[in-house]
Amino acid sequence: MLNVRDGKLDHLGLLFERYKKILFGFFYNLSGDPNLSEDLVQSVFERILKYRQGFKGDGEFKLWMFHIARNVNIDHYRKTNKLQKEDIEHWRERIGDKVCNSEEAMGKAEELKILQMAIARLDMEKREVIIFSKIDGLKYKQIGELLNCSEGAVKVKVFRAMQTLKAEYLKIEKAI
Amino acid sequence: MNECSVEKDKDRLIEKYHQGNLTYEEGKQLESCIEKGIIKLEDLSDLCHLNKKLDMMASVEPSESLTYSFHQLLNEQRKARKPLGFKLSGIWNAKPIFRWTYSLALMMAGITIGWLAKNSNATHTEVGKLYAEVQEMKEMMMLTLLEKESTSDRLRAVGLTSDISEVSDKITDALLKTLNNDENVNVRLAALEALFPYASNTKVRKGLITSITNQESPMVQMGLAEMMVALQEKRAIGSLRELLKKEETPQEAKDRINESIQILI
Repeated sequence: MLNVRDGKLDHLGLLFERYKKILFGFFYNLSGDPNLSEDLVQSVFERILKYRQGFKGDGEFKLWMFHIARNVNIDHYRKTNKLQKEDIEHWRERIGDKVCNSEEAMGKAEELKILQMAIARLDMEKREVIIFSKIDGLKYKQIGELLNCSEGAVKVKVFRAMQTLKAEYLKIEKAI
Repeated sequence: MNECSVEKDKDRLIEKYHQGNLTYEEGKQLESCIEKGIIKLEDLSDLCHLNKKLDMMASVEPSESLTYSFHQLLNEQRKARKPLGFKLSGIWNAKPIFRWTYSLALMMAGITIGWLAKNSNATHTEVGKLYAEVQEMKEMMMLTLLEKESTSDRLRAVGLTSDISEVSDKITDALLKTLNNDENVNVRLAALEALFPYASNTKVRKGLITSITNQESPMVQMGLAEMMVALQEKRAIGSLRELLKKEETPQEAKDRINESIQILI
């Protein structure tokens, strides 16, 4: 990134290749919308280019990038004023009749669908903290830097978010 | 009691958690233990189960169109970049005395470089020294123009910084001084813009943060707030909040500054 900051823009291509998937996953797990997620990844790299002089080089690039990604996400939801929170009535439709009527044990795919829906039911702060905690190589301490809180506070946030996720998961499971 | 001091407490809390029998107080104790790292999230079997499910979440791949759009963006940026080298146009617009001095310096530099190149004894040190002299002259010209009464001269001086490849502390200090003290808003805004490329310098960054509370013009206040967002500078939140408290800050500026604070938080 220091090379990019100093004007060697070609090096940004390497960073893009390294981080596009992880960033896309971040936005996709937050929104569940692949097209929107791609747009938001593009916005992150636009901002990286625009504000490259702001990279001090005394921290990890990945953290700086996620700071920008968080801001892009906040700006997007502030503009659209929309946070996907599905109604319980739509859950059956999403899971499909096959599953609803089936008395067999639920398959892995359905479990994941329920999990995605349960995540979509969480508020943005809880979604974010769970998704960050699942990002490979991102430590609680680094998440604390992103969320501006201590490592211990992150652990409690993850605990609370997981409690809510568990409750939402069970609620959907029970409803179908 | 919110302390989790003994191993016995830890086991009791985990057991009660798994049984779903935690009281409010015990719940707080459990959180306190998690915060201190005495109880790990992996110790809670129900969360482990949920974690395994989260791990199973398919790893999604973006489409090829994302890579295509990114490279388009990169190409546009490359095209938009200013060519490297000195921008002479600003110099030709300067007052004749500076124009002549600058031309004479360049001519002398050319002759000397030519002479050095021709002579086998030419050394890199001499070329470097000469280069440093030209830089120094440009700095001197910029600092002199900054002292002028005419607004356009001072604007030109600020613009000259983009022609100086290695900016010294003297220049950034002069720009910060202009940002804080110049009577003209446009000059202050130009100084702010000129300082942005050097914001990675700790001294400049600190100077920008300090400048926030000194500014009375809403334009400069908003410019600084936006720059703090661009730099992700959380230390500026306090100074920006001070602007919100000021009665003389117009509502529009307050709204924009508030937006910037929200993004920084």
